[in-house]
Amino acid sequence: MLDAMIYALPFLMEGLWITVLVSLLTVSISLVAGLVLGCALIYGPLPLRLFTRLFSDTIRGIPILVLIFFVYYGFPAIGVDFDSFWAAVTALTLFKTAQVIEYVRGAVESIPRGQSEAGMAIGLTFSERLTSVIFPQALRRFLPPWINGVTDAVKGSALVSLLGVTDLMHAINQVIGRTYEAMPLYVLGAFIYFVINFSLSTLSRRLERRLSHVQA
Amino acid sequence: MATMRRDFLKLGALGAASAGLVAGAQVLSAKQAAAQSAPDSLLRTVIDRGKVLVGTGSTNAPWHFEDEAGKLVGMDVTMGHILAKALFDDENAVEFVLQDPAQRIPNVNTGKVDIVVQFMTMSGQRAQLVNFSRPYYVEGVALISTPGTENNDFDKLKAAGSGARIAILQNVDAEGTVHEVLPEATVMQLDTQANVLQAVDAKRADAAVVDLSTVRWLVKRNPDRYFDSGKSWHSQLYGAAMKQGDLDWLHFVNTAFTIAMFGHETALYDAAFEEYFGEKPPERVPGFPKI
Repeated sequence: MLDAMIYALPFLMEGLWITVLVSLLTVSISLVAGLVLGCALIYGPLPLRLFTRLFSDTIRGIPILVLIFFVYYGFPAIGVDFDSFWAAVTALTLFKTAQVIEYVRGAVESIPRGQSEAGMAIGLTFSERLTSVIFPQALRRFLPPWINGVTDAVKGSALVSLLGVTDLMHAINQVIGRTYEAMPLYVLGAFIYFVINFSLSTLSRRLERRLSHVQA
Repeated sequence: MATMRRDFLKLGALGAASAGLVAGAQVLSAKQAAAQSAPDSLLRTVIDRGKVLVGTGSTNAPWHFEDEAGKLVGMDVTMGHILAKALFDDENAVEFVLQDPAQRIPNVNTGKVDIVVQFMTMSGQRAQLVNFSRPYYVEGVALISTPGTENNDFDKLKAAGSGARIAILQNVDAEGTVHEVLPEATVMQLDTQANVLQAVDAKRADAAVVDLSTVRWLVKRNPDRYFDSGKSWHSQLYGAAMKQGDLDWLHFVNTAFTIAMFGHETALYDAAFEEYFGEKPPERVPGFPKI
C-alpha cells in the first residue's frame, strides 16, 4: 500500500495546488464580499437589506452542486461565459459569501444593544462605535464559525472536479483510473485533506486564544 | 473557319482547365472547403478556429487517462486525434476538454465542446438528445479472474454452479446480467469498480463481471495478476456525440471515423486498438465494403 502511495504522490502535486488555489480564492473573495454585504444587511437602507436577505436565503437554499452547474451552464445565457475553473470558483464563492453574511449578522447582532448605546452616551460617532466598540467584540464571535467554514471550503473544493477541473480529488481519480488500485489513493487523499484542515483548525484555536487574551 | 473553331475549342479547353484548377484549389484548401458547408455548420467554425474541442475524461483506462508522463491517452483520445488529422492533417490540432461523464450531453448541447468522445453507449434515449457518430467500438461485459484462482475460466465457473462467486458493480440488472451466462452463480454486488476487482484480488470472488475493454486492458498490463475467463456478452455500441441539427459536421465526423477504421488511414486506430485492447483489428480486404 505504501508503495502505491509513494508512486502516486508526484501525480497529485498539481491537483493539490489547484485545491489550495480554489480554496484561497473562495475564502478570500467571500470574506471581503461577505463582510460588506453582512454590514449592509444590518446597517444598510431597506432596498439593500432586502436584496442581501434575498441573495443570502436563495444561495443558501440551493445545493452547492446545483449552483456549480447553474453557473457553468446558466451564466452563458446572460453573456457571462466562464471556463470550468472560474465557473467553479464563482459558484463556491457565491455559496461561501452567503454563509459569511450570516456569520457577520450573527456576530454583530449578538453584541448587546447597551454597548452601542454606551458608545453613543460618551459621544462616539456611528463609525467610531462600529470600529472601537462593536467590531472588536463581534470579531471573537465571528472567528470560530468562519474558520469552520474555511475547512468546509477546502473539503467542498473537491466538487470542482465535476466540471473537469483537476484538483486533488480529480488527480486521485486519474491515478486510480490508470492503476485500478483505489484504497491506497483514497487513504493518501484523506491524509492530505486532513493535514490541511487540521493545520487550519490549530491556527484558528491559536488565533482565538490570542484574541481572547487581548480582550481580557 | 476551321482555325476559328480550333481557337474556340482551345479557349474552351483553357476555360475548363482553369475551372478545374479553381475547383482543385478549393478542394485542396481546408478553409475554402469549409466555405462549401452550410454557413452555420460547426465544420466551418472548427476549421476557422484551427483546432477541434473534444470533450472527454481522464480517469478511465483504457478509454481516457493520463499515462505516467502525464499525457492524456486512450482509445477515446485517439479518436480525437483521428478527427484532428482529418480536419487539419495534424493529429495534434485538438484541445481536450476534461469533463465528468455527467457533463457529456450538456457540454455538447451548450457548445462547450464540438464533440464528445467519452465511452458513450449509444441508446435510443440519448439519440433523442444528441447525434451519434458511427460506432467506433463494440463494448460488452466479460468475466475476469486471477491465474491463481481454482475456478477461473468460464467452463469451470459454469460447472461450479452455485459454488461460483461472481462480483459485479451494483446496478438494477446486476443479478440478471450474471445469471444470463451463469444461471446458478452466487452474485456479490459491490459499490465501486475498484472494489469489484479488489474482491477478485482478495479471492473473495472467483471472478468479476466488468467491461470487456477493462478485462483486455488489465490482462494485457498485468498477466501475472489477472486472467481472462474467456466469456463476453451484452454488446453495446460506443459512439461520439454531437449537437443535433448539423448534418455537415455529423457526416464529416462519420467520414473521418470510417476512413480511420476501414479506409486508407488506419494507422492511428490500429495502433491504439492494439495498445489498449491487446489485439489487432481484423485485416481489411479490398473488394466488397464490409462496413
